[in-house]
Amino acid sequence: MGKRQSVSVSDASMPAGGEAGQAGQQVYDHLELLAAMGKDFASSGDIEASLKCAVEHITEYLDAEGGALFLLDDKGETLRCHACVGPTEIIGLTLKCDQGIVGRCVQNEIGEIVRNVTKDAGFHAGIDEQTGYTTRSILCAPMSVKDERIGAIELINKRGGDGLFEESDLHLLQAMSASAALAIHNARQAEALVEQERIARELELAAEIQRSLLPEAGADDFPVAGVNHAARTVSGDFYDFFPLDDGRICFTLGDVSGKGMNAALMMAKTASLYRCLGKTVRQPGRLMARINAEICETTTRGMFVTMVGGIYDPSTGIVRFANAGHEPPLFHDAEGDFHALPAEAPPLGISPTLVDGLGFPETELKLDGGVLYIFTDGVTEGYLEDGRELKVGGLKKLIQENAALYVKGKLNAVIDCIDRGDAELRDDLTLLAIDDAVPLDLRTSGKTVAVEKTPQDPIAAAEEEEFLLSLTVPSQADWLKLIRNAVSETARFCGCDKDVCRDIVIAVDEACQNVIRHAYGGSPNGEIGLEIIRRSDALVFLLRDFAESIDVSLVKPRDLDDIKPGGLGTHFMREVMDDVQFMPPPAAGGNLLRMIKKLPKGPDNET
Amino acid sequence: MKHEIRDEKDATIVALEGDVDLQSSPDARKVLLECVGRKRPVLVDLSAVGYIDSSGVASLVESLQTAKRSGNTLVLVAVSEGAMRVLQLARLDKVFTICDTVEDGLKQVQ
Repeated sequence: MGKRQSVSVSDASMPAGGEAGQAGQQVYDHLELLAAMGKDFASSGDIEASLKCAVEHITEYLDAEGGALFLLDDKGETLRCHACVGPTEIIGLTLKCDQGIVGRCVQNEIGEIVRNVTKDAGFHAGIDEQTGYTTRSILCAPMSVKDERIGAIELINKRGGDGLFEESDLHLLQAMSASAALAIHNARQAEALVEQERIARELELAAEIQRSLLPEAGADDFPVAGVNHAARTVSGDFYDFFPLDDGRICFTLGDVSGKGMNAALMMAKTASLYRCLGKTVRQPGRLMARINAEICETTTRGMFVTMVGGIYDPSTGIVRFANAGHEPPLFHDAEGDFHALPAEAPPLGISPTLVDGLGFPETELKLDGGVLYIFTDGVTEGYLEDGRELKVGGLKKLIQENAALYVKGKLNAVIDCIDRGDAELRDDLTLLAIDDAVPLDLRTSGKTVAVEKTPQDPIAAAEEEEFLLSLTVPSQADWLKLIRNAVSETARFCGCDKDVCRDIVIAVDEACQNVIRHAYGGSPNGEIGLEIIRRSDALVFLLRDFAESIDVSLVKPRDLDDIKPGGLGTHFMREVMDDVQFMPPPAAGGNLLRMIKKLPKGPDNET
Repeated sequence: MKHEIRDEKDATIVALEGDVDLQSSPDARKVLLECVGRKRPVLVDLSAVGYIDSSGVASLVESLQTAKRSGNTLVLVAVSEGAMRVLQLARLDKVFTICDTVEDGLKQVQ
């Protein structure tokens, strides 16, 4: 503090101060000036205007030819003139932080009277050269608050008398500089506060958008539920679930590295990609690979996402999911035993090539009345009331204790133990559960719990499957040409020759006709869904309708000795395809026909 | 699907063009039955048929049966590759009389 009170006077001794009465008047005026300046800064929202006003007051009061106020930039590297009065206009002029007398004054935090600038080696003559003005003497006082250097006020050439500044002038300037410094400091703080509030408001808006990305809760007995409590305003965690048109439920839960706004934005991107692609890409491993590729293409270095994504079929209790570097989901089976299902693939956003083009490895699991819990580490690392971490053991205990509750109750029981509302959360808490606890008699098969990978069912052998096409058209004859063209192009794309393409088109076209004519009875208001999937050795065609389930036993190829018109379609399908089967009716009703056509062996089709 | 009917000395020639599928086969059926109803031999030119489905084939079969019942003849001529494949799949390639060209067809019905 004492340092800023010190005064440096160069080149001459000063005349004695004025008389007592004069001094009293000065003090009075000086206080008024300070009061006026303070008021000006406080009432004005415009710092620059207030600075200009202050410099005018000070220059006039100390009877100088000119005055300038310099402020240090944020980094403290340059001094910039923000306000000036007098014969030369130098607003915007910048100096290095230690350049010139003003620089020295700021660096040393010592006020100075320089009576003859030509004898001061520190004097920066460049300005005079530019402006044609002659600086004779300078009075300069630093501005600082606590240990923060703010800048300096510099006055040039005293009017009248001997044209020299006196020590009393310096004292006054120092007082006024200190006052201005405080005003600038306060104004800056107020500005920062306003900015902080603005950011807080924007964060709250961002959080609102983020919450809107989470799915709406289903009914109490809806089998999938999730919960997300953000540690800060915005969250890097997310979960989502949505029903597919065939009655299955697509779900995901993820955790973006980091917790700030960048994590929140990444979360929004990943969650949106999942929801969008999840509606058409029905293989979780492939879906994750697509999202991984997208994230790798555009991600900020070092950010990644751990994520579990999958599909649950309530009619069979089968869950198929892929785990990209996420905490192992916990399966609580109907007998009460726990099974952890660790990740077999790296997080998303690490590398587009770590996972081959076929997608992330999938795990298939028959829930058989059990519950699958997927959660972020905010849950297992969350603090309990006694200060201990919940850990996986604690989570299992909570799950067991609340097993009788509906799925939402199960989740809330866990969350309530960690987020008690009495302390800030350590990390975002996100938990998703898939509850297969439907009455036993509604389930299709026995009680064996099967945790297995790479299912043998060819239709589920996702690791070897590539999703090629999904098309949904009205059950109207004029849409068949579109289907034929799409099928033909797809088959050609897969290396089928002209004849095979033509055969495949015939079979698919006939299958669609059957749907239009028989399943929908000619009604144009139905829908036909076609999916084409490539396996290493075959093309799979899945044809879906939403009509009443038909009696499969009635669908037979016609007797070829009988050449009556009609009934040929099924024969064509069986003749052309290597396998034609009606699959068990999907949960949402309707019919699902699967046709498989083996691909010709070729260099591209070798497994 | 488009069609063209022209009467030659010995036969009515009906040329179908485009896709004979679920949407257009009712039209094809009508045209074919009308030609068969003229009580003259009918040549069905399938050279410009890119695609024919079971309903189109059914129309051909129905026309053939109608012709036979009335002592008339119906011959398929210049059958395109695509249409031939469907006839083969339906094992109808031995049921229909099929000629490579319109000229061959005309000789056939003389």
